[in-house]
Amino acid sequence: MITTDPYAFATLVAEQIVKGLGIVTLPIDPKGIARGRGIDVVAKPMENEGVSGMLVRYDSEFAIAYATHHQNEGFENFSVAHELGHYFLPGHVDAVIAGDTGSHASRAGYSSGDKYEAEADRFAAGFLMPRHLFFPALEKAGSGLAAIENLAALCKTSLHATAIRYTQCTRDPVAIVISRGGIIDHCFMSEAIKNVDGINWLRKREGLPRNTTTSAFNKVPTNVLHGVRIEETSNLQHWFGGRRSIEISEDVVGLGRYGKTLTVLYDIDVPDPEDEEGEQSLMESWTPHFRR
Amino acid sequence: MNLSTPPSAVFPDRLRRAREYRGLNQAELAQKAGMQPSAISHFETGTRKPSFDNLRILADSLDVTTDYLLGRVEEFKALAGADRLHRHYESLDGSDRKMADELITMLAKRAEEKGKP
Ligand SMILES: [Zn+2]
Repeated sequence: MITTDPYAFATLVAEQIVKGLGIVTLPIDPKGIARGRGIDVVAKPMENEGVSGMLVRYDSEFAIAYATHHQNEGFENFSVAHELGHYFLPGHVDAVIAGDTGSHASRAGYSSGDKYEAEADRFAAGFLMPRHLFFPALEKAGSGLAAIENLAALCKTSLHATAIRYTQCTRDPVAIVISRGGIIDHCFMSEAIKNVDGINWLRKREGLPRNTTTSAFNKVPTNVLHGVRIEETSNLQHWFGGRRSIEISEDVVGLGRYGKTLTVLYDIDVPDPEDEEGEQSLMESWTPHFRR
Repeated sequence: MNLSTPPSAVFPDRLRRAREYRGLNQAELAQKAGMQPSAISHFETGTRKPSFDNLRILADSLDVTTDYLLGRVEEFKALAGADRLHRHYESLDGSDRKMADELITMLAKRAEEKGKP
């Protein structure tokens, strides 16, 4: 199955900028890079929640303001990188100006349906986690939630943004699910898991499968708020249906004030179709055949 | 929503006019701006849309304002002045709006100082 990502170019633009700057180590410092470009970067006061970021222009002078109320460096870096996306991406002058000059404010996260917002988010992910630095880090990061935590610490990015980038870059069959209460808010599947036959793809806005650790976890609101973290096992069928009953790993962590839960589904060791067939015929040869 | 032409549609013509006024060919401007020679022709035919970063570098290379290249003013060195804000401005809450206003004032001061000979 070929999936074409309409926003992939935004990630590429970001990666080329990072490469062009000659940066060879993580983390990327978006505030420093912006300032190096002559763009003012200012923190919004903590009590001022409002928008996650703003890009302000007066002719050739630019400033970025970013929200600090989450008290999360990863979130701040993402907000600043997102605004840099509006600055560096071709065509964003139309989004920002739309007839009047001034500033552009961005709502946080991945929920916006706006094309320009989606592009700026992709830019931010590519900027903070460029493939030429992220791939080698990923090889050493381990697996599951622990890998995502390691990478988030290395890149100074939020668990949420890192988890999404992880599914885009890993070669393993992995899925991440962001849920709130009993509902899947959104989910991302790696290429490898998309290529597994006979499973149903997870869908956003669907109910969480009931007999899963995540479902039980979300019934206790303090789990989410206090960032409780658990590593459990689950079954491929519980999450993805199909006919294979295979044990998989399910790591779950509450994302605190963000109010959502991150689930990482991995260790998905699906036998390839030929082996499966072989097993099937082997089983049949072992099974006594009774004639009726 | 504003029905006026988007800035990126005005830009190709503004770029060509400013370049010709400064007596530069496309290759000369590209060199001055540190861009690929083909970039200027792509900008002028509208096949490539500029980013703010591109605009800023081109405005600097041509000694015109970014506002001119965006079609916000009619003269090469003019500034659009204290503009009304962007499409989301109305939806900003009070404190964000205040902060945006303060930043604009600060940037305006700096832009005007740079504009002085
Ligand atoms: Zn934005």
